[in-house]
Amino acid sequence: MLAKLNASLKDSAWPLGTTFLLLAAWEAAVRIMGIRSIVLPPPSEVVEVMFRRYDLLLDHLWPSVYLTVLGFALSVVGGIVVAVLITYSEIVRKGFYPMIVVSQVVPKVSIAPLFIVWFGTGTMSSLLLAFLIAFFPMTINAAMGFQSVDEDIDKMARTFMGSRWQIFWKIRLPNALPYIFGGMKISITLAIIGVIVSEFVASQQGIGYLIKLAGGLLDTPLMLGAITILSIAGLVLYGLIAAVEKRAIYWQAPIDTTMEAQI
Amino acid sequence: MPPSRRAPVARDSAPVTEMALRVAEVRKTFGALEAIKNVSIDVADGEFISLLGPSGCGKSTLLMMIAGLTQPTSGKLVLAGSPITGPRKDVGVVFQSPVLLPWRSVLDNVLFPIELLRLPRQQYHDRAMELLRMTKLEDFANALPRQLSGGMRQRTSICRALIHNPSTLLMDEPFSALDAITRDDMAVELLRIWQANRKTVVFVTHSIREAAFLSDRVLVMGRRPATIIDEVKIDLPRPRQVGMTEEESFNTYVRHLRKSIEASHAS
Repeated sequence: MLAKLNASLKDSAWPLGTTFLLLAAWEAAVRIMGIRSIVLPPPSEVVEVMFRRYDLLLDHLWPSVYLTVLGFALSVVGGIVVAVLITYSEIVRKGFYPMIVVSQVVPKVSIAPLFIVWFGTGTMSSLLLAFLIAFFPMTINAAMGFQSVDEDIDKMARTFMGSRWQIFWKIRLPNALPYIFGGMKISITLAIIGVIVSEFVASQQGIGYLIKLAGGLLDTPLMLGAITILSIAGLVLYGLIAAVEKRAIYWQAPIDTTMEAQI
Repeated sequence: MPPSRRAPVARDSAPVTEMALRVAEVRKTFGALEAIKNVSIDVADGEFISLLGPSGCGKSTLLMMIAGLTQPTSGKLVLAGSPITGPRKDVGVVFQSPVLLPWRSVLDNVLFPIELLRLPRQQYHDRAMELLRMTKLEDFANALPRQLSGGMRQRTSICRALIHNPSTLLMDEPFSALDAITRDDMAVELLRIWQANRKTVVFVTHSIREAAFLSDRVLVMGRRPATIIDEVKIDLPRPRQVGMTEEESFNTYVRHLRKSIEASHAS
């Protein structure tokens, strides 16, 4: 236990160390070269702003987080349901699955203004964009998981007279869990992007709105503060999923599809 | 269904009247390809037979037909007096790979058929532990499959095939993925289980020695389209021990079987 903790401290020492060094270099460069705060504030000033205006930041953070989590949850449920349809319905698999895959090419962010036209500038647009953008990786991952059952396992279950229903609940679903969690880790980061972009386009609240507003006022420290707090929120959400994953998939190492999906 | 399953079958002369399994003039074609041509086999209750043949000769296809997973193109398969139309309760299957569910413990894997068959789990718990004890896995009942060695995994899958006490055990090259030493151990182990828990066994293998060591009778299958080209009764005493494989009587059988297989290659 202690050795484990020790090892994880050792593992994180390097990235933490380099981060600290970079921040120190940034701080020093700004001070030595006398760069104006509007262009690039030093980290210390960003931190100071975050403490001073934390209620403003949190006021705008919560709606964004709320919509992110809601959009993400909808994408998980929707993605799994569609994945089940893809697995069990030939019509959906042959007719819609290729369409879903091809539609991945469309940059979902470009649809944001269209959503504003359709659903107005309220939370509905943000929610739908978050859902839409997070839905595809979720669906594709879950479908892959449901369909990747070893042929012999399927045969084995059939020799013991397993019904389709039993095979789904007792084999396909647990088999898909690593894929589903892999999809969730991609989807949560994408849901954040969806919410922020729609807040950029049209909104009166949210951290995306605050970033845009601060930009308009040339309040660069506030902008960086908002970006920082958003990043922290993103890390926490991702970490929560990773923590649940570790418990849920106790029988194997998690599948990390995050990196490929981002590229 | 046959009430006399427990009755020991006379080793040398299995009663011809009481057939546990009857395969009659079975043919199987995949499109234009004829995989199995006119195979007939009768297996007595409690008899251990092997289907011996080269890889890809159709012996596994035949086994899957007995398991009810594939239908023959023509011919009849009858088990315990009723035609085989699909998977059924009185059959247990052991596959080439252990096919355990990685998220289930050894015990839960063994009890998996009980869940699928909707039998009371509680009632079979003791039997599962008994089977695990017999296969020396009782200390691993709560372990996950990935914590087991290859031989232990396959032993688990044998326990799983036996948990619902089927009258017939079908084994599809169950030891072929194991190393040679483990393989020999497993053969002895299997015979011990079979001795204690008499089932009709159909054992598919491409190992001549394995077939000769395990079986009451070896059916040699020729290459595509598969037919039975030879049938050899193995008259070695039971229980069989590894030492017997050194004896001349055993090696005579092995030589005979090898000749049969070579003859099928030549043609």
